[in-house]
Amino acid sequence: MIEQYLLAFITGLTTGGLSCLAVQGGLLASSLANQIERDLLQTPSAPPKKAKHPIRPKRPNAALPILLFLSAKLVAYTLLGLLLGWLGSFLAFDPITRAGLMIVIAIFMVGNGLRMLNVHPFFRNFVIEPPRFITRAIRKTAVRNETTAGPDTATPLFLGALTVFIPCGVTQAMMAAALGLGNPLSAALFMFAFTLGTSPVFFFIAYFATQVGATLEKHFMRFVAIVVLFLGLVTFDNALNLLGAPSVSGILTTQQANASTAEAADTLTLQAENNGYVPARLTARADSPITLTIITENTTSCARDFVIPALKYYVLLPVSGTETVQIPPQPAGTTMRFTCSMGMYTGLIEFK
Amino acid sequence: MQTKTYRITNMECPNCAIILESIEDKLPGIRSARASYKTGEMTVTFDEQLVSEAEIITAIQKKGYIIGAVKTE
Repeated sequence: MIEQYLLAFITGLTTGGLSCLAVQGGLLASSLANQIERDLLQTPSAPPKKAKHPIRPKRPNAALPILLFLSAKLVAYTLLGLLLGWLGSFLAFDPITRAGLMIVIAIFMVGNGLRMLNVHPFFRNFVIEPPRFITRAIRKTAVRNETTAGPDTATPLFLGALTVFIPCGVTQAMMAAALGLGNPLSAALFMFAFTLGTSPVFFFIAYFATQVGATLEKHFMRFVAIVVLFLGLVTFDNALNLLGAPSVSGILTTQQANASTAEAADTLTLQAENNGYVPARLTARADSPITLTIITENTTSCARDFVIPALKYYVLLPVSGTETVQIPPQPAGTTMRFTCSMGMYTGLIEFK
Repeated sequence: MQTKTYRITNMECPNCAIILESIEDKLPGIRSARASYKTGEMTVTFDEQLVSEAEIITAIQKKGYIIGAVKTE
């Protein structure tokens, strides 16, 4: 199951870092005091920077507070994962509930993407504003940081930990996934891997913040908004897969797979591989009970969590082995979709 | 004591509210400063004997924010 942690890490590295930076960047900026804060939040009145020493950051010790901030964030999210896994152990997530949760997350992400693109003030409603006492504590700490001489370790540590109160859209999706793991240790490791993945983007952007001009920053934020919007649409599409509804990814997968040339059969065999189901398109005899045999061989990805939404059938396949599903007779022309529990890998059975 | 609500036209994220509210810590005479990214407004209650409205406006502008309409309560 190491793949799921690797996937969480890569999600953090590729998209989570950008998305989280858009939401939590201000906290990091606060911990780095006024100069970097002004650059990150594109103060229009900020004086133009004279980049006489482009390689040397303005703050010689900028790396230390950033590292402290990120370490605190890592610990906080790992603990959050522990809590989510513990809560998840009391809940049973059937595919429909999971799809509902994914749709909510997708709407949230799309709304946030549109907000960041300043499409309409209405989309500001999609933002989760931290409670007043939290913002007050952040402010007081930031002010103390500005007035303290010498390096302050408490501020970045404190502010890093506070990021758990303002998770970004991608983080919230990962939190939902961690909840679904239903195991405190797995969920903690999952959130650790994700947060670790987000760290390089945070570090890179924050460290070079003083070198990045306001215009570039604006373009960067626009790019983040588009990525978040795209991820929201992908999440929505995955939720459709999980509901057994037609989806863009489902159509693409089955179009790529050659239509089965074999005769419609009563017994079907499906390979659940790490990167999807083979073949992604099966042909079954109509009006006849069907036996579907699913074979796994060192399968550790979410393809193991096999779902047939129309039958409300859900099974966790063995890493290596076979599982048999009995499908009741279906009329000719029926299309039955199957998917993994994340809605990422899909396929269909056509009844002829 | 006076209360004024300023429309801030260039708030771009919830953290802008945190930055705006920090004028409360810097200017004596401000009883409370509440900014909301959702509404794009900032409400400041202040003692005009201790701080002038001009000082408040300057403090907001110094942080890089643009003030639109002003409401007096």
